[in-house]
Amino acid sequence: MISNLTNSGIPPKTIEAAANQSRLAFGLAITEMACHDDTIVAVSADTLDLIGLRDFRDRFPDRLIEIGIAEQNAMGVASGLATTGLRPFVCGYAPFITARSMEQLRNDVAYANQRVVIGAGASGVSLGVAGGTHHALEDLALMRALPNMTVLVPADARQAWHATKATNKLSGPTYIRLGGRIEEPPVTQNEKVFQVGKAQLLRDGADITIIACGCMVALALRAADDLKVKGVNARILNMHTIKPLDDQAVLSAASETQKIVTAEEHHITGGLGGAVAELLAQHLPTPMRLIGMPDKFAVVGPTDRVRERYQMSVCGISTACLDLMG
Amino acid sequence: MSTNRTAILDRLVHEALNIRRNIWRALHAAGSGHIGGSLSAADLLSALYFHHLRLRPEDPNWPDRDRFVLSKGHANAALAAVLARAGFIEENLLDRFYGYESSLGMHPDITVPGVEMSTGGLGHGLSVGLGMACGAKLTGRTFRTVVMLGDGELQEGSNWEAAMAATHHAQASLTAIVDCNKIQQSGRVSEMLDLGTLGDKWRAFGWAVREIDGHDMAAIVNALDDLPYAHDKPSLIIAHTIKGKGTSFAEDTYLWHNNTVTDQIYQQALDELRETE
Repeated sequence: MISNLTNSGIPPKTIEAAANQSRLAFGLAITEMACHDDTIVAVSADTLDLIGLRDFRDRFPDRLIEIGIAEQNAMGVASGLATTGLRPFVCGYAPFITARSMEQLRNDVAYANQRVVIGAGASGVSLGVAGGTHHALEDLALMRALPNMTVLVPADARQAWHATKATNKLSGPTYIRLGGRIEEPPVTQNEKVFQVGKAQLLRDGADITIIACGCMVALALRAADDLKVKGVNARILNMHTIKPLDDQAVLSAASETQKIVTAEEHHITGGLGGAVAELLAQHLPTPMRLIGMPDKFAVVGPTDRVRERYQMSVCGISTACLDLMG
Repeated sequence: MSTNRTAILDRLVHEALNIRRNIWRALHAAGSGHIGGSLSAADLLSALYFHHLRLRPEDPNWPDRDRFVLSKGHANAALAAVLARAGFIEENLLDRFYGYESSLGMHPDITVPGVEMSTGGLGHGLSVGLGMACGAKLTGRTFRTVVMLGDGELQEGSNWEAAMAATHHAQASLTAIVDCNKIQQSGRVSEMLDLGTLGDKWRAFGWAVREIDGHDMAAIVNALDDLPYAHDKPSLIIAHTIKGKGTSFAEDTYLWHNNTVTDQIYQQALDELRETE
């Protein structure tokens, strides 16, 4: 990622900051894309720092359309821009850019099938201390329910960079779920490209499969380490594309390991766990445990503590696996 | 008034009558529909499609075409009526209005030639039109964007987000027309949720505003010819109209916002329209 930017003129500190935070990697990626593609436009809902758009604005002031704190308008404007052949990337806070502008997302973007990319920062409980108004724990369910929509959840900053660039190849709308203002440990190493709809096998194992997305991938890998000590070999699938789901990877995992645990920083209804369960229920019923937010609003607190409270943790994942192993 | 201009106005009035006939034709085929808000827009649409907008019906995706967004999408019968008159779609497609798998349903669909955006949920069109206007500026194209809003629709807050942003981004190529027919689904706009002094509201948001009689073809043409009203502001036309205009029984009543169209009603409407010829 950094090697591509050596001669870009983008400040080294911007590049460095984007190395560990997916929201900044998204902003950096669209800035880099804009350097050689004048159809790239950023539509911001007061997110210059959340998404790291200041360099974009400095270099391409005309192509940074600041809409202010008005997500509905931002989404509609993006749709209108897309009809003129431009490639808008709408930048917002995950809780607001989805739920607040949901009708614009459905009608103007998904129904009209416009090539709009939504970069949604501060997802999950990354804004833990901000409370339920600022937690985004239903965004994947909302986006999954929209026909035409591709739904991506990069596992780290590197993958966010590649996922953002991969939207070049997509003809319809895309939702990219990004993290908050917290470090995201790198979990993808040698990835050069991002294959939309193709799950990433991070670790093979024959006893059980953990299918995770976003920040839960790093925790799933650590859970797999713990499980190995206990004699359980877990397969880890990084399901960075929630829609279209990699059916084959899920069905193979179910067939070969017989047990599936899903892990996501999202309600257990409607997101990754729901998608996997819907598939398996119809084609290969398989014992499952779903790690994620139960049907309640989360407490206020630091992100790690809030995640742990609802078992979205290394311990929560490994406990679920052991429970399923019997 | 010059002979030439008189001829232009006569043609536009004639086309408005044809649009009204097509509206009734479509909604008779459908069996019911949004009569009132379609008929109120007929004169405006005639002037837009046969005088103002630069379009190529034979090449509906021509990149430099002017854009028209019907934000009050429930008046799709009026849009379909004018698209048929202008040659974007076959006129007999109107007979499939509301039909199974028809491209013409209650609300506009972007896949229909000449339709720039799927609309129907209210309060969407101005944002989309603003995006189109921004797109024109960024791509160096000179097309203009016109968005038609309903007055009841202005109760949706998203319109005012777009109104504020259009001024901030100085989109002079953007025009909004309010088909101000004073009536919404359940009653008079002033009784449901009054819009107050509408022109002042838009002026306060930084728009250049003109108010006209939306059934006076000369006034409509003058208002369109004078666009834009300022070089650094979007323009707004408040067109005072009569809901259901052209058929006496449907005029100025919420009962004909959306109503059943029987054979008898259809014949009565055509008879009345013939008398105005």
